[in-house]
Amino acid sequence: MKKIATVLVCVAVGVFLVWCPYLVSFYWLRILTNIFMFAILAQAINIIAGYVGYPAFGNVVFFGLGAYSTGILMVKFQTTFFTSVLVGMAICVLFTLLFGVPVLRLKGHYFAIATLGLNEATRAIVDNLSGLTGGGMGLSLPLRAGDIGANARYFYFVFYGTMLLSILVTYLLSRSRFGYACRSIRSDEEAAEGMGINTTKYKTLAWMISAVLTGIAGSGYAYWMSYIEPGVVFDMTIAIKSFVMFLLGGPATVLGPIVGAFFVEAVSTLTWSHLLNYHTGTLGAIIILVVIFMPQGFISFIRQGFSFSTFVKKGKKKFSGREKRIEMA
Amino acid sequence: MKILEVIGVSKHFGSLTALQDVSFTLRRGEILGLIGPNGAGKTTLVNLIAGTTPYSAGDIHFLGKSIRGLKPHQIGRLGISRTPQIVKPITDMTTLENVMVGALFGKKGKKRTVRAARRKAEQTLELLGLAAKSNVPGESLNVQERKRLERAKALAMLPTVLLLDEVLAGLNPAEIDEGVDLIKKVRDAGVTILVVEHVMRAIANVSDRVIVLQHGEKIMEGKPEEVLNHGKVIEAYLGKRYRALAGNG
Repeated sequence: MKKIATVLVCVAVGVFLVWCPYLVSFYWLRILTNIFMFAILAQAINIIAGYVGYPAFGNVVFFGLGAYSTGILMVKFQTTFFTSVLVGMAICVLFTLLFGVPVLRLKGHYFAIATLGLNEATRAIVDNLSGLTGGGMGLSLPLRAGDIGANARYFYFVFYGTMLLSILVTYLLSRSRFGYACRSIRSDEEAAEGMGINTTKYKTLAWMISAVLTGIAGSGYAYWMSYIEPGVVFDMTIAIKSFVMFLLGGPATVLGPIVGAFFVEAVSTLTWSHLLNYHTGTLGAIIILVVIFMPQGFISFIRQGFSFSTFVKKGKKKFSGREKRIEMA
Repeated sequence: MKILEVIGVSKHFGSLTALQDVSFTLRRGEILGLIGPNGAGKTTLVNLIAGTTPYSAGDIHFLGKSIRGLKPHQIGRLGISRTPQIVKPITDMTTLENVMVGALFGKKGKKRTVRAARRKAEQTLELLGLAAKSNVPGESLNVQERKRLERAKALAMLPTVLLLDEVLAGLNPAEIDEGVDLIKKVRDAGVTILVVEHVMRAIANVSDRVIVLQHGEKIMEGKPEEVLNHGKVIEAYLGKRYRALAGNG
């Protein structure tokens, strides 16, 4: 029964979002497009951090790689956007193959810091290869032909489609052999290895999927903004923001990161437009309240029938380790 | 019949010798106890068999074939499973899913689809009387149920050899008795077991044979009651003076 309700709500929201571009102003269209982009990034983090338990803080490196692949290919080689996206995805895959084995040997904070290092190093390289990347001056991409409305809708659907793809990938992953391997690794890597799970293979694959999704978002961003520079596309605040969305929404759930992205972006837009002087403070306060009252994220909160009782339960067994996150319906 | 054969295995960490020329065999269907004072090399030996650390000299044969150079998960798939803690379910998974992981990645797991693994897990839980708890988180089970869950996992994985490294550590006497019972039941399901343990009472109770390691060398092998009362073993644990006091050997 609950399952049917979930599916119905998702389909209704999905259809409404397809209809949306013909209803709302360009301002809201742009905000929605931005939300979709962050939803993809949060979902990508969910795959590696939520399911496998590796906090890939530096995942924004793939955003930059995707953006620069598209930028360089479209500017210097006059390829189509679609080709550049494919090449960007391939570069992300190569990157994870190259660094996956050494970096994924590290755990917890060490892994997080190593990915940060990868991001900074890549940013510095891109910054210095001025002949190819334009260096600190950035890169101006060709504008998409067509009127403003058509373009706005085009990017809206590019990101919307990619977001749906990321949800589908996560959904399939969560109930496959792959998903069970990932969750066993998160629980205890040595035990997983002892049970016959090739941990290196599954960790690298998960990171690769996460990287490819992030890369597509980066490519889309470059074409959408038509101007990129290293400081913007390798920006750590993008990583931090998508991490907050992922955590607020609910780690290791299919829809959590999406809900988280909608919430954070919507609230930050609303506070920004209505409380110009206090918006960061207000946003921070709202996030604190959410963390206190829904410590397991929105999805658990909804699943438990919108009850704050999780707060009470959580308080009692504060030291019992990780909270339980039962597989999403 | 020999299942696992350890032939003159040595392990050096730099200039430190952790294991020196250790040999023993594990026969089908037995429970072999492995004891020794702290630092004797017990866990290192288990690591070598499980493939987490490579051995420096000698060889280990599993069902007649060398396992040299295999990765832990490859060894796991061959049928040697290591359980670090028998009462710790996989976090954030239901009881059913815990058993499904065993069915998916254990022996023959590669050929199973997720659906088939689910069926296998359901059957196993039914068999062990845990079916009612299928859909609750594994961590919410009490100790007794957790042990039944571990048995279900082991059955679903169908390992040939189970390596239990200090799985009874930190349990109270009643829990230890249950643990011993569980180990015996897993053996009765057709699994050969190597138990590494500090709890002497448990070792004496559970093992068919015992081997003793000291300073990386095997000093004794035999029936538990003989080995545990032997002067050499008492000396290894408690020193020469105590051996004299005990007036043994």
